[in-house]
Amino acid sequence: MAYKLLHGIRVLDLTMVFAGPVSSRVLASLGAEVIKIESAVRPDVFTRGNVFPENDPGTEPWNRGSLFHSLNAGKLGITLNLGSEKGRDIFKQLVKISDVVMENYSPRVMENWGLGYEELKKIKPDIIMASMSGLGHTGPLRDFYMYVPGMEGMSGLTHMTGYPDEPPMLSGFSYGDWTSGGTSSAAILIAIFHKKSTGEGQFIDLAGREALIANVGNIIMDYTLNRRVEERMGNDQPYLAPHGCYRCKGDDNWINIAVGDDEQWAGFCRVIGNPDWCRQEKFSNSINRWKNRSELDKLVEGWTILQDKFEITESLQKAAVPAGAVLSIKEVNLNSQLIDRGFFSVIDHGEGIGERPLPNQLPAKYNNKESFIPKRAPKFGQDNKYVFGKLLGYSEAELAALETEKVIGGAPSFPPGRPTRLNLIQQQDAGQIDPNYLSELRTKYKKDIGKTGKV
Amino acid sequence: MTKQAFEKIVVLDCSEGVAGGYCTKLLADFGATVIKIEKPGVGDSSRHMGPFLHDDPDKEKSGTFFYLNTNKKSITLNLETKTGKNIFLRLVEKADVVVESFDPGQMAALGLSYESLTKVKPQIILTSITGFGQTGPYRDYKTTNIVTFGLSGAQYTSRPATHTSSRPVVEGGRQSEFTTGLLSFSATVAALCDRIDSGKGTWIDMSAQECVASTLGANISEYPYIGLSRKTNPFAIHGYPIGYSVPCKDGWISLTPGLGGAPNIPLLIEQPELLEDPFFTKPAARMAEPEKFDAILTPWLKEHTKWDITKQAQELKLAFTPVLTPGELEEDEQLKAKGFFVKTQHPVMGEVTYPGDPFKMSETPARVGKAPLLGEDNGSIYSGLGFTKEDLLTLTEQNII
Repeated sequence: MAYKLLHGIRVLDLTMVFAGPVSSRVLASLGAEVIKIESAVRPDVFTRGNVFPENDPGTEPWNRGSLFHSLNAGKLGITLNLGSEKGRDIFKQLVKISDVVMENYSPRVMENWGLGYEELKKIKPDIIMASMSGLGHTGPLRDFYMYVPGMEGMSGLTHMTGYPDEPPMLSGFSYGDWTSGGTSSAAILIAIFHKKSTGEGQFIDLAGREALIANVGNIIMDYTLNRRVEERMGNDQPYLAPHGCYRCKGDDNWINIAVGDDEQWAGFCRVIGNPDWCRQEKFSNSINRWKNRSELDKLVEGWTILQDKFEITESLQKAAVPAGAVLSIKEVNLNSQLIDRGFFSVIDHGEGIGERPLPNQLPAKYNNKESFIPKRAPKFGQDNKYVFGKLLGYSEAELAALETEKVIGGAPSFPPGRPTRLNLIQQQDAGQIDPNYLSELRTKYKKDIGKTGKV
Repeated sequence: MTKQAFEKIVVLDCSEGVAGGYCTKLLADFGATVIKIEKPGVGDSSRHMGPFLHDDPDKEKSGTFFYLNTNKKSITLNLETKTGKNIFLRLVEKADVVVESFDPGQMAALGLSYESLTKVKPQIILTSITGFGQTGPYRDYKTTNIVTFGLSGAQYTSRPATHTSSRPVVEGGRQSEFTTGLLSFSATVAALCDRIDSGKGTWIDMSAQECVASTLGANISEYPYIGLSRKTNPFAIHGYPIGYSVPCKDGWISLTPGLGGAPNIPLLIEQPELLEDPFFTKPAARMAEPEKFDAILTPWLKEHTKWDITKQAQELKLAFTPVLTPGELEEDEQLKAKGFFVKTQHPVMGEVTYPGDPFKMSETPARVGKAPLLGEDNGSIYSGLGFTKEDLLTLTEQNII
């Protein structure tokens, strides 16, 4: 569900791939008019070109990629070539009627185009500009080449993730990109509030690495206070036991159990039928359980491995013990709590794709605010007429001329659509593949997922 | 004096722990008057979370509490008494935002439902942060950082690309809670923006499970499009075995290819004869034998330090970066140049250095300031409500403040 809270806020979004689009998707979910700017020479290739419905790239693969759909739902899309002077002129006209410009080019690109913050401020004094990068817009390392492992690795987070006797671990879900995007939208919201209050714009320098450091700030305090470097500890949480991820019945099934105090320990023992070992002195209080946790973990797993992860999630929760199944991506998409609360919006993508559930990027439920279902992520150049014609007043003939000059429009330069190599994933055991996903979704969402299509 | 974005905003924070604390920390750092309402005597649960200065578990010495509560005020108030509740409602009259993290229904049971708050302050914004939200079959479930992480799908993907059936691991630190705090902050600021135009407040229902599930971003949609539930990071899926860290002389390096490949690696490891080797030109070759690929790189990496490797690799346009420990950040040349870490004085802890805010804003920068002592602002806030010194003594004796 999305809500109309940012009435009349217009955002020019030059960002690509993952982090930036997350940030502008948050703003779109709050009702801002986000105009995503691509061009024939610079389409958002990676997300447009991966993971097609039913693994079929089709004839226009750039309009079918699921990563793109998920990250760009609710935005408008135009094509405008900023590499040409005319393109930059048109961009400046758009800046005049916008509130926010966001970009994640490498530092300097915008300045080299004459589109840096100081320049944009001359055109629109109250503009908000957010520049996203790995390490920031200033400083000696600002030009580093880096992706998500760089941001996570240089923040302290990677060092803290994984088991003590194993290598430090990258997140499994591009968490660093998401954090960079999620944090960027927080900064832009502050700037929008300030602009609405005072009429003043500003520049935001968002370094993805710093956004991640903020999320491990509590751990860094051990160094700043005590000059001690905390180490990764798998699923342990100091002084809590049992605490961790335990194997359940079946293939690759797990449950997290996090016993916080003696009362929860008693509840846990009750649920597992009070076996003798529960009453041993070495597990009698939290300190003893923590000291003897490796032995305790084995005993706990001796029980969980015979149990269904969903059944014991429920029985442990009934006894007020914090516990929960480790859900696969499939199970998240089919999760009754998430579906019940409308976390997924079922969005129509038109012919050949139909309706698909897509997650919310700002999962807040607002009381008494107008809600809406976001429109599908824009087809390539889909809103040129509205933006250049209606908003900027270009005539049909002028638009045709701009198209001939390759300033707007055109087909994206795009590699041939390639299906996801499911056989390779299976060979590497990199994921589970469920061939019945459409019927599973149809049953759970009570909709004709993947079938209808009117857009 | 620089401007503060939220200088006119008053926030009552009666949340416990990390998520609500981080949400109101951001409000406070950017100028809001945040009054943290803590239980008399005990204080917020994060006062009891390590790390503690010199390992002394004093409620005024927690590094976690300090970091999460910079620039806030603290009062003590027992909301479970009638007088406490009435005092709270008088504070609500002067507030813009209330942030809370009670179990669903508990605020209402205390007589402090959203409706009761709107009676004293019609435009109030109430942000309620819980594990699973105010509605739905899980609403009464108990949760913690790891339990939320598992129930959101994030943990299932958290396994090394080479051991995809190993035990899923929770992300380091308290990422479920910080993520929930960050999104609760954004949701609250959006409501403040809306209130400028509409003049109306709202009740915001935040679910930690949903917040963490949203961090899966595009990966979550691999299921409704191709039926895939990935078990590891995306690099394996896009043709590169190394999504984990590899050892070097003094620690670890994150190896990331460009999406197109890794043509310059043989130059980095001083084996130019390998430039045409399929390992460096064809992703499929790397994917087929990841251990063999590692074995080519590791000997050279083990002879060089992480910064030496990084700087040489960056010259070759390779996105190799060091895995830094939490101890290497304060002296990091980039963070120093950007003035990331900041310092302030605290009456019990002395001079404290802490990580600054996650972004730089040109006109409304973050404030630097300490975390409050428990009940530090009782005097000023309660006298502002008209209580005399004797009133305060009586309230203290009754264990209300």
